[in-house]
Amino acid sequence: MNRILRLFLPLALYLVFTVVPFYWMLLFALRPAGSTSLLPWPLTFDHFDTVWNGMGFRVYFQNSVWIALLTLVFVTFFALMGGYALARFRFRGQRAFLLALLCTQFVPGAMMLIPLFNIFQTFDLINSRWSLIIAETTFQLPLAMILMSGFVKNVPVELEESAMVDGCGRVRAFLAVVLPLLRPGIVAVGSFAFIGSWNNFLFALMFLNDPELQTVPVGLQTTIGENTVDFGALAAGGVVAAVPVVLVFAFVQKYLVQGMSAGAVKG
Amino acid sequence: MSRPLRTTAAALAALGLLTACGSSGSSSDAGGKTTVTFWDNNAGPARTPLYQKLIADFEKVNPTITVKYVGVTSSEVAEKYNTAIASNSTPDVGGVTTALLASLTAQKALDPLEERYAKSALNGKVSANFLEISKSASGGKGLYQLPSSGNQDVIWYRADKFKEAGLTAPRTWDELFAAAAKLTDKGKNQYGFTIRGGAGSGFQVLSEAYAYSGLTTMFDAGGRSTVDDPKNIALIEKIAAQYKATTPEADVSNAYPQMLAQFQANQVMMVHHNLGSTRDVKTALGDKVAGFLLPAGPDGTSVLANPVDGFGLFKNSKHKDAAWKFMEFLDSHESNSYWNQNVGQIPANTEAYADEWYTGSGITKQAGDSLNSAATKLVQPPVYLPQYSKITKTDAEPNFQKVLLGKTSAAEFAKSVADAFTKAQADYQAKNR
Repeated sequence: MNRILRLFLPLALYLVFTVVPFYWMLLFALRPAGSTSLLPWPLTFDHFDTVWNGMGFRVYFQNSVWIALLTLVFVTFFALMGGYALARFRFRGQRAFLLALLCTQFVPGAMMLIPLFNIFQTFDLINSRWSLIIAETTFQLPLAMILMSGFVKNVPVELEESAMVDGCGRVRAFLAVVLPLLRPGIVAVGSFAFIGSWNNFLFALMFLNDPELQTVPVGLQTTIGENTVDFGALAAGGVVAAVPVVLVFAFVQKYLVQGMSAGAVKG
Repeated sequence: MSRPLRTTAAALAALGLLTACGSSGSSSDAGGKTTVTFWDNNAGPARTPLYQKLIADFEKVNPTITVKYVGVTSSEVAEKYNTAIASNSTPDVGGVTTALLASLTAQKALDPLEERYAKSALNGKVSANFLEISKSASGGKGLYQLPSSGNQDVIWYRADKFKEAGLTAPRTWDELFAAAAKLTDKGKNQYGFTIRGGAGSGFQVLSEAYAYSGLTTMFDAGGRSTVDDPKNIALIEKIAAQYKATTPEADVSNAYPQMLAQFQANQVMMVHHNLGSTRDVKTALGDKVAGFLLPAGPDGTSVLANPVDGFGLFKNSKHKDAAWKFMEFLDSHESNSYWNQNVGQIPANTEAYADEWYTGSGITKQAGDSLNSAATKLVQPPVYLPQYSKITKTDAEPNFQKVLLGKTSAAEFAKSVADAFTKAQADYQAKNR
């Protein structure tokens, strides 16, 4: 009884606190407009139809998926290379380089808007999904490299040395021995990259003008007018936006936690 | 294939997907068609479908012009325009309120429109008062906005509850406060009035103050702000005295959405907003709701000009003639009437004033008549000052909350706003001498 009061009751309260906003979102998404029912009944999918077909979320969703997936690929690829170098090599200015990587995290995206805009314009990348992919990759890479270097350090260097003694070159040793052991790190870094890119609003709003290129967060914003909010559409759009993130967390949660601690302890 | 090689191959395959992310061209001409990019400055569920319909109509009668609609929400539009201006990537046409006009003209982003307007079929059909407001908002530098809609502060009230209580729409502020007191029943969580204490409170309280004081300008001949005139202070004190007496306690942080929610939930009987909320209140409450213009004070009343919505032609546009054609279409009798009927605002095209929906619109026509009347004392807020938003929002809003909470006096609040306006005006005049 004591244990229930001390442990499960606070946990249950915390669960309610966490779940209610999600329930509220689902409720608004699934009940008819104007309904005040606390249950999604009568059940309607009209709001999903509105946002998916009427407001263009089908296109926004596809755009977000491509942008987030490619950001994931680039961030993971470069983080693997950079993280490996940080973990395995000693070079002049290494500490300063690490410090610089950390310092980049202090610069808010809004401050970089005009310079990034000018650079992308020079390369004719404004109104192209590439602008988002490149911007997101560069913004996420420093933290991803630091995280990845923590994972690489966890792999005993002796394993690589043994492979090299057996005739492997460094690249082969990395691909054959280290890479399979870095799977948790790859999943963690990739997930962070995906979620970060999926949620980005500012860059998508500023760099993309064509509605056919827009992403889910910008689409969500258009359900909120100056004086009018379409709560049903907003909630349905919120569900659409949340699903990939929830799935990522559900399937790779343990790697994410490991990723955080690897960065914290070994970084 | 070994696992590492498979992994590498998968990564390369993913890279192959890059073709799916090819750049999509910016607006350009192709196949004899001109593409005009149009940024809506206030996209949302209520307005976007209206523009989509108007664009389709325009393209039907102008088959050689395609309009690319880009919806930007009002909260993000200033940043989006500023970024676009800094990087020379502005649209051809953009939605521009008078509140945005000063910033855009200061950055020399817009084309002057006098010449085009003079030669246009629209000449003489756009409200002269609206054109004056547009010119004034750009600091008197000329016409940089083609007005499309006018707005006016109104007070929405529960006509059914007023009738039950034997009340009529107030004509003076004292009548309003008396009605608010009569309609307040705290036991039933029912309040007669609501004060905007959160976002947007700065402009609202000034608009109430000038309606009461009847002052006709925001600066005296010497360039000193009139905000701290004793008559303005008197009204701010009266408003603050309503807080918690005839208004909900939550008002101190309430912005428009919360105020409207209270109004729709039978918790407040009067709410001060503007014609922008016509659709919301009518949809929610139908015939139970009616509106009246801001009541008069002891010295009559004056009207603080609300932002006029309209369109700007951007200087960097490569298709100015096509863009202007689109602007003319949006401001034509039929389009402008359709637009304003659906958003519940005052048409800029004076031909629309004879339309049935407008003549029978009640408060919208009343507000339009007032805004277009030569007898109305229309006070121009100094939106051309670069510091205008900072003064009325960043500084004034938290200070007004202090007035409501009794932490500062109405006089101190009014003086702080007046001093800031006076200094900003002096700086502006020094730079533009």
